[in-house]
Amino acid sequence: MTTSSRAIALAVAAAVLACIAGVLAGSSGFGLASADIMASIRVPRVLAGFGAGAALAVSGALMQLLTRNALADPYVLGVAGGAAVGALGAMLVAAAIGVQLSEWGVAGGAAIGAAAASALLFGLLWRRFASTATSAGGDGAAALLLVGVMIGSGCSALVSLILTLADEGQLRGMVFWLLGDLNGATHWEIVWIALAIALGVVWPTARELDWLARGDAWAATLGVPVGRRRRTVLLAAALATGAAVATAGAIGFVGLVVPHALRRLGVRAAPVLLPASAIAGGAFVVAVDAVARTIVAPLQLPVGVLAAAIGVPSFIAMLLARPAHAR
Amino acid sequence: MSVDAASLDAVSRSTRGAAATLLEAKALSLRAGGAERNRVLFAGLDLRVAAGERWVVVGPNGAGKSSLLAALAGVFAIAAGSVRIDGVELADWAPSALAERRAWSPQFWSDPFPATVRETAALAHRRDAGWRSALDRRGAPEVERILDRLLLDALADSDVQTLSGGERQRVALATALLQGAPLLLLDEPASHLDLAHERLLVEVLLAHAAAGGAVVASVHDLDLAWDLASHVVLIDGSGGVVAGRRDEVLVADRLGTVFGVAIHAIEVAGARRFVVAPDAAARSGG
Repeated sequence: MTTSSRAIALAVAAAVLACIAGVLAGSSGFGLASADIMASIRVPRVLAGFGAGAALAVSGALMQLLTRNALADPYVLGVAGGAAVGALGAMLVAAAIGVQLSEWGVAGGAAIGAAAASALLFGLLWRRFASTATSAGGDGAAALLLVGVMIGSGCSALVSLILTLADEGQLRGMVFWLLGDLNGATHWEIVWIALAIALGVVWPTARELDWLARGDAWAATLGVPVGRRRRTVLLAAALATGAAVATAGAIGFVGLVVPHALRRLGVRAAPVLLPASAIAGGAFVVAVDAVARTIVAPLQLPVGVLAAAIGVPSFIAMLLARPAHAR
Repeated sequence: MSVDAASLDAVSRSTRGAAATLLEAKALSLRAGGAERNRVLFAGLDLRVAAGERWVVVGPNGAGKSSLLAALAGVFAIAAGSVRIDGVELADWAPSALAERRAWSPQFWSDPFPATVRETAALAHRRDAGWRSALDRRGAPEVERILDRLLLDALADSDVQTLSGGERQRVALATALLQGAPLLLLDEPASHLDLAHERLLVEVLLAHAAAGGAVVASVHDLDLAWDLASHVVLIDGSGGVVAGRRDEVLVADRLGTVFGVAIHAIEVAGARRFVVAPDAAARSGG
């Protein structure tokens, strides 16, 4: 077995175990619950968590390839920032006009915010990507990073503004949403559809992403339509990120750590890295959520907090273990 | 080596009429950065590269060597003139079909993620193989053969990010060779190479040309240029360019004028060698 197929087998096994643990874990402790609770709460929550984790990890892998930066994640797009503004804005407006907001309302606000941020991103980058790749023309990686980071910064200022305007009662819900929260996440279908579309659009030409990561001009000499490919991949990443954040809030570190860890395990080629990221990212979020629900039961921790608590030290360990560059 | 080169020259002379033209540039002019308002790098370059030939591009820093190679590859805007590969204008080629005919290796490579030498060398190999190639335990036999040929077999499983400059340079050559195109456009393939690996480079490129391919490469070392070249393009850095057989272009006086230093040419074992005459500062500095 090759290193990458061994890593994929490992990810699949982890995903199966995580899903079993996720279904068995509840705020009432480990074990089987009544069929009703299983069907209406636990299984949808596992599906939502898996879909969100998979979408974030795929989006992270795509963003790292597009920006040639191992530190890029789904949030450098600014799309998640837009989703946060939309979700919190919906909560704020609903409270101001005295409407009881359903979970759909928050997710809808997040989706609208993500779409608006994506539209802004594409509006600013479209022409940049439209020019054909030349060895002298520089390339799209740096522009993409800068524009995405700027949109993200603008959104985080808006989020701070909304948090300032919100009253005490709303603040808790908002902060939980920002941390990434699967509590009450039952609408898992949308993120799975978004994930399927994103992978379906990107995967058939995934090998070209490895060429693009080596340089736009070199990829162009191999026959890659550079501008078109960059736009498609960016659209897929924005869709996956927006759907994941609307479903489960801004869960951090999945998109950054999962592709990174897979590369270290020997999964390098994009055609294998992308599906492997989906499986491992889903497994990671489901497993973390199972722990988040049970570790201080009956209290539930936001899954994003625990993901960061696990993600930060493991990421630092990975960086320190990285061999020094010889050049 | 020089004997090798001479005998190959004889071969390419005798088959001149029959050898296929792989690349042809007519009245080619380039501007810095490929932009209309910038200065002219050179104008009116004509060249015709036939199978078996090795064209070396020589000139001062910033003269336009890299721009010429990129323009021949189709990734640098041409100010005037035309470039044809296999008799077809660059713009009329389907991009993926062109990748079968010419490989371009840039001067600088980005290695943003960990990857083994074998993975990097095989990047453009079997471009239609898709994801299955990523799961192959070992590379195709062709990959192993090229790694052996370039003395990279011992490094095959090393991370490309940990290599020295010269080692990375050989990986870049492996990537270009494994693309499988007859025409190689190589931007400074000899940079960072030590003397032994320079010889290896010349040997490999001469063999590639002798097998029906052709090479266009920019080189700084004039001795290396002589050994590799059948023909030379000399860009003078002030808008002029000459192209022709190596013994006509690599002439001491001409080189001295272009580079602004006094150059002597001497014969060593039948090959031309170029020596820079020490100037006053160097003589008194000892």
